[in-house]
Amino acid sequence: MMWFDLKLAWRNILRNKRRTIIAGLAIGVGLAAMIFTDALMIGMKDNMIKSATESFLGEGQIHRQGFRLTQEVEKTINNLEWIVAHLEKEEALERFTLRTATFGMITSPANVSSVMLYGIRPSTEKYLSQIDDVIEKGDYFKGDGEREIVIGSDLAELLEVGIGDRTVITVTQAYSGDLVQEMFRVSGIYRFNVKEMDTGMAFVRLSKAQKMLGIGKDVHEIALKFKDIRFASKKGNLFWAEYRLHDNEAVSWIELMPQLQAMLGMFWISLLVMGIILFGIVAFGIVNTLFMSLYERMFEFGVIRAIGTRPSGVRRLILFEAGALSVLSIALGIIVGFIITLIFVKVGIDYRGIEIAGTSIHEMLYPVIHIQQYFIYPISVFVFTLLIGLYPATVASKMQISGALRKSL
Amino acid sequence: MENNGKKIIVTENVIKDYKDNNIVVKAVRGIDMTIRKGEFTAIVGPSGSGKTTFLNVISGLDTPTDGKVWLDDKLLSDMSGNELSDFRRDHIGFIFQAYNLIPVLTVEENVEYIMLLQSIPKRERHQRVVEILKEIGMEGMEKRFPPKISGGQQQRVAIARAMASRPELILADEPTANLDQQTGAELLDMMRELNRKTGMTFLFSTHDRMVMERADRVITLKDGKVEKDERKTEN
Repeated sequence: MMWFDLKLAWRNILRNKRRTIIAGLAIGVGLAAMIFTDALMIGMKDNMIKSATESFLGEGQIHRQGFRLTQEVEKTINNLEWIVAHLEKEEALERFTLRTATFGMITSPANVSSVMLYGIRPSTEKYLSQIDDVIEKGDYFKGDGEREIVIGSDLAELLEVGIGDRTVITVTQAYSGDLVQEMFRVSGIYRFNVKEMDTGMAFVRLSKAQKMLGIGKDVHEIALKFKDIRFASKKGNLFWAEYRLHDNEAVSWIELMPQLQAMLGMFWISLLVMGIILFGIVAFGIVNTLFMSLYERMFEFGVIRAIGTRPSGVRRLILFEAGALSVLSIALGIIVGFIITLIFVKVGIDYRGIEIAGTSIHEMLYPVIHIQQYFIYPISVFVFTLLIGLYPATVASKMQISGALRKSL
Repeated sequence: MENNGKKIIVTENVIKDYKDNNIVVKAVRGIDMTIRKGEFTAIVGPSGSGKTTFLNVISGLDTPTDGKVWLDDKLLSDMSGNELSDFRRDHIGFIFQAYNLIPVLTVEENVEYIMLLQSIPKRERHQRVVEILKEIGMEGMEKRFPPKISGGQQQRVAIARAMASRPELILADEPTANLDQQTGAELLDMMRELNRKTGMTFLFSTHDRMVMERADRVITLKDGKVEKDERKTEN
């Protein structure tokens, strides 16, 4: 009986081809949109995480406990030698770099501004951040001079300085609290297209910064890059616990950029909302198609009820029709979704230069195809279709047989 | 001649009212009737006399407003929805004026459908389909779809479908109304022959004089009541 009902359902679905095509297109396009949007969201998430972590942040950082909150100069990382020695042996780690970080004042003959002054090792920093990639004018610590400074384009504009111009940096020394001033020449101007970075950051050599701050060979920050970024975001990872010893803290990018994590959470919420809207359209399409088909064939249902089909048999028949419509639509949706996604995987979407949640997109955005997209959404559409189909199925099973039979006259 | 066979339909003061645009229509106004096994009976009467409504009520397709209906000694009002469905499946065959075949099923599938409901094994179903289609002269048309055959042929298939479950009772609502006279006469003769051969009970609702001529009992309804109940004597 089941097989016969399936055959009957298929034939009924194919009976009014135009209606089936229109309904199938509505459902299929909805599914294709879900598949593509999911792929796009994953691509955007990966792109944003990459942009955020590769710009400057790193995939994780180590500091002295409390440094991130107070930015006190004295709060340098404890047991630095032990940490560096261990990091060099970490198999999961690809690179790391040492930094000092302190608030300072940068002055030019024309203007003055507060900045976050970073002392960096250009040779290792270039693997952790993209400052060297976004140099707009000059170069990235090309010479050996201690007095080179690299600043953002907006800051340069504010200070009205160009390459080779002099600026003065004022910082507070650790422990003594004395103010120290040093003259630097602008050797490079970068543009990240992130306001905070282009206006509020300046980079000098690590050794020079350490001297100015009076912290010897100590540093405030170690930026980390892993061989696989998923290692950094894995919950319960013992790596972080190991480097939290000695009153230090070791945190992944998730804790460093909670706004990005929140933004990504919002992405999934927007995907959910979109899914609900699309599923609503799908539901409307299915109910409309099934009811049109039901009223058109009322006499047939009257006949099959009259000759002895139980109400449950009628319900099953309608559900099979809903299932058949769904299978056709899913096949269409999968094909269309895959083709559209594949096209954009090849050509990409250009969001470069756009800043989202403090993260500037530097690379082309490519949707990411995941096998789950071709299981989860189609199965959801199928199950959803059957659930929605219950409504017309129930209506059909409860019809008055004599009334339905009159429809044939 | 009086038929002393088993009572297959018994109705007792059957009343059926329905609402049409908030007006209560008294379609059937207290019918007492007994139909015995093997009868070939025509219920006749003008339009609106309650023929189809009465047929619907006695087959369990509609519920009476009042009164009782026994089919094969079973009181219909005692049966649940599923029991009624099963009862119709196993005991009643239906023939409709507009044939009402399922257009997406082939001739043989239309006949086979009811046997599937009865869970009859495939081999037996196939055997019965072949026999019945031969009996009604539809051999060679097994794979055709209803829209591709004539009205007379469709009605033959409808008769085959009604017979397929081997019911005791066949209810035919205006079965010749959409057919030309010659085809109608052929089909009626065929049904009469089946009635004689198998002992199946036939109950028609009709306007058609040809049916009345062939029936051995003619019940005339007027305004929802039995006006006349005539039995013919065999020559």
